[in-house]
Amino acid sequence: MSMKKFFALLTSLLLVERNLYAAEAGMPQLDPEYWPSQVFWLIIIFLTIYILISKIFIPKIKGSIDMREDKIRKDLEEAKTFREQAELKLKEYNSLMETAKIDVKKIISKSRQKLNEDMRIKREDAQKKIDAEILNAETEIKKFKMDSLNKVNLISQDIVSNLIKDIFGEDLNKSSIEASVLQTIKEYEKGK
Amino acid sequence: MATNPMEQFKVHKIGPEIEVSGINLSFTNASLFMVISAGLILVLLLFGTRQKKLVPGKIQLISEMLYNFISKMISDTAGKKAKPFFPFIFSLFVFILFCNMVGMLPYSFTVTSHIIVTLTFALFIFVGVTILGFVMHGFKYLKIFIPSGVPIVLLPIISIIEIISYLSRPISLSVRLFANMMAGHTMLKVFGGFVISLGLIGGWLPLSFSVALTGLEILVAFLQAYVFAILTCIYLNDALNLHH
Repeated sequence: MSMKKFFALLTSLLLVERNLYAAEAGMPQLDPEYWPSQVFWLIIIFLTIYILISKIFIPKIKGSIDMREDKIRKDLEEAKTFREQAELKLKEYNSLMETAKIDVKKIISKSRQKLNEDMRIKREDAQKKIDAEILNAETEIKKFKMDSLNKVNLISQDIVSNLIKDIFGEDLNKSSIEASVLQTIKEYEKGK
Repeated sequence: MATNPMEQFKVHKIGPEIEVSGINLSFTNASLFMVISAGLILVLLLFGTRQKKLVPGKIQLISEMLYNFISKMISDTAGKKAKPFFPFIFSLFVFILFCNMVGMLPYSFTVTSHIIVTLTFALFIFVGVTILGFVMHGFKYLKIFIPSGVPIVLLPIISIIEIISYLSRPISLSVRLFANMMAGHTMLKVFGGFVISLGLIGGWLPLSFSVALTGLEILVAFLQAYVFAILTCIYLNDALNLHH
């Protein structure tokens, strides 16, 4: 249907309709016959629902909303305290671990110190013993040396006196032999 | 055949005639639909608050959403001071919304399409807000007519405009709701009438219009209830927190 035809139809229809309604034109709203009745019933009915809503339903709805919010808030608070507790526990654990580590370190260093000390003492003891042994051995060696030297002297003197006796057939003064032997040994040592 | 589109707004009495000192207070179809709307509200709220569940059911959710929606609307527009008026705004919004929505049902009556009904609300709000303003601020409430930061020369004109706009509040508030509802329902009826008069051949076009308009009218029904409630909040805000 083209637009022109449609509008023509619409206007003609409007005219027809208007003719139909011509008899009862006007707005019933402006007829004051039932105004007091409408106002009266409106006041009664609205007042009724107002009282019921304000006294019963709004407190009820507010109650259930508040209850829900309370529950949510409480749950959140509970969760918060739980989290705090967990964090506290974690801190406790961490500090415990920390002190334990420190203790372990202390124990290790202490035992190491003790061990070192022990080793030092033992080493010192051993050193002392070794030193004493060495000293002993040295004195012994010295003594031995001296002894052997004296013996060599004596033997040399004997030999010298024997030789002199054999060659010259007489005993010489023992002390002069001793002196000359010593002199010879000294010169020998010097010459070396 | 099609009937008068204004026929739907006619008020007629149901049951006996009630007259108190010469004033006709008969129960009418308008009153009946007020009762139906109020009843639906009460049923919804009754089921919505029957059991306080931590995880709400559908109806409980609807009532709680309504509560939060209006609570937010009031705190956004009128602040904390308007808290005592929450039940009134709640009742007002819900009542107008349900009257509008019940009016969308075929063969029903739209309570809010009557100027006397909306005017009663609007006048009550106007008078209430004005009294509230004077109680809260005394004669300083008259400052509402003197906006700040206006040059002295313009002040008389501006004040007159402010006074006129203040006095026209009940009219604009009531006519907005009434006119919207009446216009929408009249239009629906007219298109409905076209469907009948055009018959099977041409009736489909106005029928589709009708369907679209019904959707629009449902939107308008909600929107007008919201506008009415939010304007009430704004007027309350003017009376509670004197800005000017």
